[in-house]
Amino acid sequence: MATAVGSGPAQFTDRLLAPAWTPSRVWWVLFGVSGAGTLVLAGAVAYTVATGIGVWGNNIPVAWAYAIINFVWWIGIGHAGTFISAFLLLFHQRWRSSINRVAEAMTLFALVNAGLFPLLHLGRPWFFYWLIPYPTRMGVWPQFKSALPWDAAAVATYFTVSLLFWYLGLVPDLAAARDRAPGRTRRRIYGVFALGWRGAGRQWHQYRVAYLVLAGLAAPLVISVHSIVSLDFAISQLPGWHSTIFPPYFVAGAIYSGFAMVLLLLIPLRRAFRLEDLITERHLDNMAKLLLAMAWMLIYSYVVETFMAWYSGNAYERYTYLVERPLGPYAWIFWGMLTANVVVPQLFWWRRLRVSPPVLFAASLLILAGMWTERFIIIVTSLNRDFLPSSWHFYAPTWVDWSILFGSVAFFFLLFFLFLRFVPMVAISELKQQRHEASAAAAAVAAP
Amino acid sequence: MSNDRHWWRDLDELLDTPDFREALGREFPAGAAELADGMTRRSFVRLLGASIALAGVGGCFERPRERILPYVSEPPESTPGLARHYATSMTLGGYATGLLVESHAGRPTKIEGNPDHPASLGAAGVYEQASILQLYDPERARAPRLGRGKSSWSDVGALLSPARLGPLVGARGAGLGLLLEPSASPLSSEMLGRVREGYPEAGVHFYSPLGSRASDRAALTAFGRALLPQYDFRSADVVLSLDADFLAGVPFSLRYARDFADRRRIAAPTDEMNRLYVIEPGLSVTGGTADHRLRVRAGEVESLAGAVLAEVTRRVNAPGTRGGQGIPGDVASVISGLEPPPGHREWITALARDLDAHPGRTIVIAGERQPPRVHVLAHLLNAALGNVGRTVRYIESPLLEAGAPSHELAPLVEAMRGGAVRALLVLDGNPAYTAPADLEFAAALRRVPTSIYHGLYENETARACGAFVPSLHYLESWADGRAWDGTASLVQPLVAPLYGGKTDAELLAALIGDSEAGAHELLQELWRGHMAGTDFANAWDEALQRGVIAGSAASETTPAWRWGAIGTELAGTRARADTSLELVLDQDPSVYDGRFANNVWLQELPDPVTKLTWGNAALLSPATAARLQVATGDVVELAYHGRTLRVPAFLLPGHAVDSVSLRLGYGRGAGDEAVADGVGANAYRLLTGGMAHFGGGLAVSPALGDDGAPLRERLATTQTHWRLEGRPVALRAALDDYRRNPAFAEPERGRVLSLYEPGTGSGDQWAMVIDLATCTGCSACVVACQAENNIPVVGKEGVLDGREMHWLRIDRYFEGSVEDPAVLMQPMLCQHCEKAPCEYVCPVSATLHSPDGLNEMVYNRCIGTRFCSNNCPYKVRRFNWFDYNAEVAETERMAKNPDVTVRGRGVMEKCTFCVQRIREAQIAAGIEGAATGEVRTACQQACPARAITFGSLNDPESELVRRRAEPRRYAVLHELGTVPRVQYLAAITNPNPELPRGDGGG
Repeated sequence: MATAVGSGPAQFTDRLLAPAWTPSRVWWVLFGVSGAGTLVLAGAVAYTVATGIGVWGNNIPVAWAYAIINFVWWIGIGHAGTFISAFLLLFHQRWRSSINRVAEAMTLFALVNAGLFPLLHLGRPWFFYWLIPYPTRMGVWPQFKSALPWDAAAVATYFTVSLLFWYLGLVPDLAAARDRAPGRTRRRIYGVFALGWRGAGRQWHQYRVAYLVLAGLAAPLVISVHSIVSLDFAISQLPGWHSTIFPPYFVAGAIYSGFAMVLLLLIPLRRAFRLEDLITERHLDNMAKLLLAMAWMLIYSYVVETFMAWYSGNAYERYTYLVERPLGPYAWIFWGMLTANVVVPQLFWWRRLRVSPPVLFAASLLILAGMWTERFIIIVTSLNRDFLPSSWHFYAPTWVDWSILFGSVAFFFLLFFLFLRFVPMVAISELKQQRHEASAAAAAVAAP
Repeated sequence: MSNDRHWWRDLDELLDTPDFREALGREFPAGAAELADGMTRRSFVRLLGASIALAGVGGCFERPRERILPYVSEPPESTPGLARHYATSMTLGGYATGLLVESHAGRPTKIEGNPDHPASLGAAGVYEQASILQLYDPERARAPRLGRGKSSWSDVGALLSPARLGPLVGARGAGLGLLLEPSASPLSSEMLGRVREGYPEAGVHFYSPLGSRASDRAALTAFGRALLPQYDFRSADVVLSLDADFLAGVPFSLRYARDFADRRRIAAPTDEMNRLYVIEPGLSVTGGTADHRLRVRAGEVESLAGAVLAEVTRRVNAPGTRGGQGIPGDVASVISGLEPPPGHREWITALARDLDAHPGRTIVIAGERQPPRVHVLAHLLNAALGNVGRTVRYIESPLLEAGAPSHELAPLVEAMRGGAVRALLVLDGNPAYTAPADLEFAAALRRVPTSIYHGLYENETARACGAFVPSLHYLESWADGRAWDGTASLVQPLVAPLYGGKTDAELLAALIGDSEAGAHELLQELWRGHMAGTDFANAWDEALQRGVIAGSAASETTPAWRWGAIGTELAGTRARADTSLELVLDQDPSVYDGRFANNVWLQELPDPVTKLTWGNAALLSPATAARLQVATGDVVELAYHGRTLRVPAFLLPGHAVDSVSLRLGYGRGAGDEAVADGVGANAYRLLTGGMAHFGGGLAVSPALGDDGAPLRERLATTQTHWRLEGRPVALRAALDDYRRNPAFAEPERGRVLSLYEPGTGSGDQWAMVIDLATCTGCSACVVACQAENNIPVVGKEGVLDGREMHWLRIDRYFEGSVEDPAVLMQPMLCQHCEKAPCEYVCPVSATLHSPDGLNEMVYNRCIGTRFCSNNCPYKVRRFNWFDYNAEVAETERMAKNPDVTVRGRGVMEKCTFCVQRIREAQIAAGIEGAATGEVRTACQQACPARAITFGSLNDPESELVRRRAEPRRYAVLHELGTVPRVQYLAAITNPNPELPRGDGGG
């Protein structure tokens, strides 16, 4: 029983809830900056919807560009949370508990951003609901041979399950917040969201079952959602898209970028809230190892798709993979992508670098940028030079494209800062349980 | 589609019971339309209230003040919803082309060729078709102007009257000047005659910046008369063009392209085809079609033509041959002295041998830009080759005063500057813009006390004139004209003048005191005389209905050679022109001489060879550009005879070395034409008084900005890549190779591996075949499609962004060396794939297949994911990035085809195979109970070369099925398995075996 002073269960809870009661000045600054960025996003979106997506840089042949790149990027980022929560829960990886709340929140916010783009990229966004199979008087349905209705369904399902999963995990902590919140109003609000949680044994029992069931539901969705997103490309016959490796390739890439984003968020959080004892070196080490593993899955995909392009003997495939990407007008982006996604993670062969927060932070940033450029390479360099040389055309984004990209990043952080401010940012109840079990085990060892 | 089945909804309908008939007659079920009970107090009050409320609503609508009449019975000339066609003709470059104009409810919407007119034979060119937009141009002038203020016709007419004008210009009109465009119109001739009666000393002048004065001068030299050669390309086996763009850029080129294509279209490998040699500086549509193209500076064409003539006469006069065609010895000795410039001897010899091998079956045609001497050489070549009277016939030029000094502008400008011209009337044209810069026409015009401009726009010339009278568009006018071959046709209006204005004839009538004369009366009065001896009313109606006046073509005349003058002319032939950098000015394939610069269709129509839109550029060969150290997009300063012009450079493979081409017609400004304003650079600033459209002594230097940095400009091309990358897209073979291996296209057609059994289905199954052997790339089809299908324009920014909307584009590929490549033209449109990649990726089924094989686009269902475009290997789908039609002016909306949906923002669109025409034909056939008759797509209809064939695969009699059976048929990107319904016939060239391949043609 070597519990430090002030680290009893009650103090532990207080410590973890503290950020929710009194925002720091830093919080206000970050909130302001991300809020301003969100306004830029809102402005750019309003301008786009009012004028038409011609305000973007898209053209024929490059009919998809930033909106779809951003969509795939955000969806990919949104994989880590559920992966951490569901897969690691199912595999009894208990280290997940310190980070799963942040990761799940990150997933949700990434999905909110991702969901914006398929709507926004439509020529007539006000008819987005035609993608959804609902019974109409006219008897028209979506066209199920296309990947896009499946895409909409997969993303919507994933978002719903992720939200439920996150919320269910939150309930005991919301109850704790209700019990400790200063002021009546806050207690009421937390009380409503705590859904009458009292911590009774029966509630805990049902909670555990429900949580496990949801984890079981969410886990396959991690695989399915990006597989289906990848079909947006793979079902086409465009060289550079028409590839059977896309589903696993996309899932690996998604988890890769998701972990990078989790690290990017956790490292400053750990520092700011002095959570080194919760988010330990072991956590960093594990996540860096996962990054390295995912990087190799990606490298495998890069090698295989390039090899297959050459091996197919198909002139168009060869042109896209062997000429356009490495040597074409966007070659600098291609090589930058390879540097970020392939070279940078090789640092994690060394444990010293795996546990170094600055290295991890910088590497995560590079990997996130690298994964964005990967989607740029996949989408733009496949489209801009396809079959008929007569239709080849360069693509360049406009200021609206950039505003929407950076605005969506700001919006993501805005949501994240609000999360930090109002919601318990680590799974307090889970951690308390683990501490209890650990101390019980220690006591059991000490007893005889 | 079939109506052999009779569908019924229920037994009542089948049995046609009285109950059913009554139910049909009633809109609502029984009882629903009657008051349920008698009038009660409550219902009365309710009705009262409703009546008062509705009375207020009714008060919102106001009836027109005038008496209006309900439509009780249909007038015979109009069936609501059905378009009618009227024959008329459009005059351009002085010559008329017969047209059929489609009119919907009194509003002309589309221009097509008149099959009965010799200059059209059913085809229509880009200018003719796009002129419909000019009619509706909101920037056309709407009112007369006197000084700075708006005026009325009565005031300006009074100004023109003899009472007012007489004292100013003198009783005999010595101070009166008239400046017209060259014209062949009998009515203009008549009216000018009357003006000359009134003012015998009035100066009548004709000016056109393009025109054919060199040709006329050559004819005067050679024959003493302004004879006009008429070429019969149907009978020509070998054609030599001396810088003549006869397939696209001359007044009769629709007809020439048709005749030329007829000799180039081969159904089987064993067929014979013609062979075309072109000697030219730039790369023209004709040059791109050539089997052998010699790119030389424009100034060298003369010496090469001379050398060809020397070689030909040497061969013709050689012992044992059929002998010369009476060329006298002294001329013959001059000719024999004409030596080919070094380096081209082999080419010339092979060409001469080829020409000589087809006596009487060749044509040598000289370009209008070339000096008279080249035209004389062409006349002599045709004579030496025995072509005169066979493939080349001469007629008296139909142009008024052809070859006369009145076609010179300089004397008029001299008189204006000297104050001799007291009053000047400028009819049409835009001389203040198009006149050679060194004449300073606008400045001279300001010295004329009374100047009146008559034109469609308040343009540069109008601004320099004291008074202005709007002219009428030809679709609003009564007039007449003559075609290149002299055939006369009437111009009848399709619509009452939109803004008011006067025709040329009415203005000339005002000059002789009849300011109220109507063009219709003047025209009828004239033709009543010409049609004497017949029933005038009938003859008149027939002329209007057919669009041509029967038997009015000029008769052939036998030229009398003036050998003395010819010898003198030839003696001046230079063996080698100067070697300095050369400037060549071109007629623009889109805006002509600048008169169509306000036409958005034409501004956005890609140049056939450069694919440039919205502006011009200094075209030069890659080698010359490398020497001058300029790249595409660099702004260069052209210094030429003391004048400079800034214009972006554009590298054009196939352009002659040491030569820079520049299209005329851009850089407009200082007028009301907002579209034209500031687009491109004004090449007329480099045109000199000698009217030579080319000349040496050009200096090119990089243009620097105010900060000393080199200037660059983004050029809006619709095609940024030139090479085919070895892909089986546009196939072509030399005739010999085709004969040796007729199956060369076979790997690119036929069945592809599939799990499904192929089957085309029954009934009409639409398909198209495009013959690349005859396609010249002239782009008439592109404008036809734009007009027929309400295709919007996107502006220069839109083209730069890669968002042009043309459903049909012409892809132009270069093959071979960058300096001197072969050119391939390929019309590319929706291929209507049987297994369309676009269809299965659409999430909302907005693009689907019709039972008759069309790939259809349902605009209302489209939500704009653009997945279809990404998956289209032909990239023929077009997206409405903005609400393009919101920017269309109120008047221009009247040009829209009411049979075709106008697309809104955010939806995809593409070629429909002119589905509106298909359905119209099917409905008509359904009413008749017959099989669907011939359907012609807009592109097919416009094509002068008849390169496009359309029809049903299930109609074994159709031309389509016949042409699809040709061995050179192939599908673009066949291996993808899209099974396109549009298939191509590989281009076949006919290179001379004596010449090495890869010299541009073979």
